[in-house]
Amino acid sequence: LSPALLEVLEPGLLSTVQGSSRDDWQSLGVPRGGACDRWSLALANALLGNEPDAAGIEMTMIGATLRASTDCVLALAGAEMDARLDDGLTVPSGSALRLSAGQSVRFGAALEGSGARAYLALPGGVDVPDVLGSPSTCLVGGFGGLDGRPLRVGDAIRGRAGRAARLGHWDGRCSPGGGSLRIVRGPHVESVGEPAWRALLASRWLASGRGDRQGLRLDGPALAAGAGTGSAARGTIVSQPMAWGAIQLPPDGQPVALLADCPTVGGYPVLAVVIEADLPVLGQLAAGDPVTFVSVSLAEARTALALARREMTGLRNAV
Amino acid sequence: VTAPIAVAIEPFGERAWLVTLGRHIDPVLNVRVHQLAELVNARRAAGEGGLGAPVAGYASLLVPFDPSITDADELAGWLAGAVDGLPEDMAPELGRLVEITVRYGGSQGPDLSDVAEWLELSEAEVVRLHQSVEYRVYMLGFSPGFAYLGLLPARLELPRRETPRSRVPAGSVAIAARQTAVYPLATPGGWHLIGRTDAVLWDTARQPPALLAPGARVRFVAG
Repeated sequence: LSPALLEVLEPGLLSTVQGSSRDDWQSLGVPRGGACDRWSLALANALLGNEPDAAGIEMTMIGATLRASTDCVLALAGAEMDARLDDGLTVPSGSALRLSAGQSVRFGAALEGSGARAYLALPGGVDVPDVLGSPSTCLVGGFGGLDGRPLRVGDAIRGRAGRAARLGHWDGRCSPGGGSLRIVRGPHVESVGEPAWRALLASRWLASGRGDRQGLRLDGPALAAGAGTGSAARGTIVSQPMAWGAIQLPPDGQPVALLADCPTVGGYPVLAVVIEADLPVLGQLAAGDPVTFVSVSLAEARTALALARREMTGLRNAV
Repeated sequence: VTAPIAVAIEPFGERAWLVTLGRHIDPVLNVRVHQLAELVNARRAAGEGGLGAPVAGYASLLVPFDPSITDADELAGWLAGAVDGLPEDMAPELGRLVEITVRYGGSQGPDLSDVAEWLELSEAEVVRLHQSVEYRVYMLGFSPGFAYLGLLPARLELPRRETPRSRVPAGSVAIAARQTAVYPLATPGGWHLIGRTDAVLWDTARQPPALLAPGARVRFVAG
């Protein structure tokens, strides 16, 4: 067992170990999972020379307070949570920091407009066993991460490497940013009705939700699901596979965007799907954030995905 | 007689095709879904790198792929051919039979007496009907290892509870609509709890972790 680097003094609202997804287990009901904002996790990891999807700590809306058990380096990215050392020094998101044994760092509430989730990287990534091929916490399944649960007081957090491969510096943006999501048409536009699709694109939305990892409600004009034909026009469909990024239309007309831990099947029609390249943006939406949607073609979405991947792997050389 | 099937192969995002074989819950449709899943898995096993593990619904299959490796249109064409090649009139293949021992009623099945009252049956009749058929796993979802089993005898059909429970104990045996299931883990749940089993539905240390795979057959027996 590697030595403990950090002790959890306060766990924050919802802090979990998150890294890569479990893409191949969805047929058994396992959500895809992993970091809701992989871009920010990749940046935090790049600052320490880690692989882009090495496991980090994902903190939601209100961060944790952690005490160094030994001299160590960490890196932050994603939402700005006013990270403060116990000597009062603040550490901005998008930077690395050194802690001496006994020193603590306290994360506060996410600054409005800066995102919903902050990521903390450790040298080599958080040291937890891989379960079904990933170190990420699966909350609904109670496995992965730290015994399948959020951080709690007294937890010891270990790093996979004794020291960071490097200590990078970064002047760019510290999170994917933006309140505009690129979407492609979902499979049920025809049966729900074209007007609902057009209204989704034409309206301004406000993110709302409890900050869980399953879904995000979008408040705005209720979308009528009655103009089309078929059962979807009556509000439900025979349960079918669902996926992270799907925008469902429940009978109340308020769309729901599905996140990393969404169930693998669902019974509401799918109006649109957020492109893979913009999932990090979706993962940073906090309650009250404005959102708009832009329709793109499949070809544009695939080009954007290739670009986003190059950018994420390139972060390591850029810092 | 199976109704004519309107097959649709549509994008579900830029990195998955959703193959819809029908729009209702039907054992024959569902068998076709799992046969198509097997064909996709065979193609993956043959070394098709960009192809992801398919995810089954009642009457549809999600086929994820990596668009930087897989030619999306070629894959859609292959899927259309694979669907065309599925035998029209097939007997559901006999999957592995799993027997699940259930303690019905009382503290183990807190909704059994209400269920019996609503259905105007005795508790013993509800139990007998629940055990009277062999179920098939239509799909997994909701939570890891949660298998949707059907079809429940029509005489036991009930809507879901109006107010879901915030926590259903692991191993709870439940019914809703024409479905039955065992909750693998303590989760929230809106189905009627008629019993409990000690069977372990989900264990990540086991290979495969889910006791009930798609296509498996299930019989409930009293314990």
